[in-house]
Amino acid sequence: MPSSDETNSPRPGPRPAPLLTAGMMLAERGIYGMIWVDETLTTVARYGRLVDFVEVGEPLTRELLPLVGLEDEIRALKDSDGRVIELPGIAIVDNKGESPKINISVFWSKDEESFLVVLTRYSSRSDLEVELSRQIRARLMAEAEVMQTSKELAKTNAELARANRDLEEFASIISHDLKAPMRHLRYIVDEIETATEGALSGSAISKLSELRDQSRRMSGMLTSLLEYSSVGRKEEIAEEIDTHGLIHAIIGSMRRTPGFEIEIAGFWPTISTVVAPLDLVLRNLVDNAIKHHDRADGHIRISCADKGDTLLISVEDDGPGIAKDQHAAAFLPFRRLKPGGAEGQGMGLAFVKRWVEAAGGRLDLESDPSLRRGTTMRLQWPKMT
Amino acid sequence: MIARKIMMLGEIGVGKSSIVQRLVFDRFDFNYKPTIGVDVYRYDLPPRPGREAMSLIVWDTDGNFGEAIFRHVYMREASAAFIVGDLSRRNTLDSMAKLGAGFREALPGRHITFLLNKVDLVEAALRMEVPEPLVPFAAPVVTTSAKTGENVQQSFIDSADAIIRRDQ
Repeated sequence: MPSSDETNSPRPGPRPAPLLTAGMMLAERGIYGMIWVDETLTTVARYGRLVDFVEVGEPLTRELLPLVGLEDEIRALKDSDGRVIELPGIAIVDNKGESPKINISVFWSKDEESFLVVLTRYSSRSDLEVELSRQIRARLMAEAEVMQTSKELAKTNAELARANRDLEEFASIISHDLKAPMRHLRYIVDEIETATEGALSGSAISKLSELRDQSRRMSGMLTSLLEYSSVGRKEEIAEEIDTHGLIHAIIGSMRRTPGFEIEIAGFWPTISTVVAPLDLVLRNLVDNAIKHHDRADGHIRISCADKGDTLLISVEDDGPGIAKDQHAAAFLPFRRLKPGGAEGQGMGLAFVKRWVEAAGGRLDLESDPSLRRGTTMRLQWPKMT
Repeated sequence: MIARKIMMLGEIGVGKSSIVQRLVFDRFDFNYKPTIGVDVYRYDLPPRPGREAMSLIVWDTDGNFGEAIFRHVYMREASAAFIVGDLSRRNTLDSMAKLGAGFREALPGRHITFLLNKVDLVEAALRMEVPEPLVPFAAPVVTTSAKTGENVQQSFIDSADAIIRRDQ
């Protein structure tokens, strides 16, 4: 498009003197150019800046691109007295560059029996305002990009910090420095017993025995913590597994009293997943349901439903249940909801939850003994491809 | 030669102008320069079997218009639209569906192409994802890169073919 600042020299074609005069007057008032167009939308005359690309004798829309598609609408102006088509704020870009922003107005001139196309300076804003607006928006875009990058960086840093914190906590707790003194403590107890054989009272002997048991328990807890921290670090490989066979194998290996019933329900498909963690999770959930049951004739129902990309497995017992205010604590390490209850160190559900989350699944607990007996553990286990 | 008007729609900074500049001039400017109002370009397609030579008059619009563009004179007699989003800014993809719905309502039956631009900036895994809100449109969803030129020219050729099929 037109970028010439020169006024056109006269060219062939009709250009009535009065219109020429009018065009010159308009040009003096800052109007870029005018084009006269006949009823067939052929250019018959032009005047002014930015219109030298429009060839007289050629269809108007061949070069004045913004009017492409509006031919019928332009023709209709002839029958709509006073109506004007206005296209504001347009620049035409070609390989020579970009024209100034212009307003294009088209109307029918009864007097001249022709359409008039007037190109004027984009009047809604000055060039300075437009340039200012460009610069402000360019800066806003740049700032938005910086903010986005900073946000992602901050998120990554937070994740890194959390991972480091976890690592440091476990590294500080689980060390040979802690396990070794525990072992040493038990050796000292043995040495005291040997050195004072027959000389200690019954109460002192009992306390020494308790000291040995407690240090042994402490060592067991340290070992569990080590195992707990290592869950998910090892990369498991997905394998095909018949979940129906798996759950039957798990149930078959569980010790329970003769009256204790375990029911398997639902659809157990063959899926691809990390098998070892699934086996451990199911084994622990069923084991917990048996171990924490308060009756010899308990009933457990284990059901499965295929939800597309996950399995929904429920382990439902009719045991004493878990009070609602203890639900969160049930998943924490070393929390035993009933001191002196079932054997173990209170790591079962903590382990289970960690395994489930490491596999990308989810574990929820439903129980409210104030309404009815029983606990339901709902496991969402992901399938893998 | 027939000429048809095509609209470039999409949020600010998604790369509408860069796509058009790649199409028309086969160039990419690393400096961002927002479009104010509208810039109009011409892209000529040579004739080929089943389609005569054709000019696409591409209206590259100011992203600030948002959905107000559909009430603007600029939209008159558009034959098709390219609705552009930035794959590296997911929120720009959400507005694509709104613009798609607005265009369908303003100019029913006109061809829409959704361009997921800046594919060169995202990981390969994200390339295959079609944003869920765009699925119901049953319109082409194409990943593009104005920077490398990936899929840019072909998208416009496909759109031109669709316009011709509709005209027939």
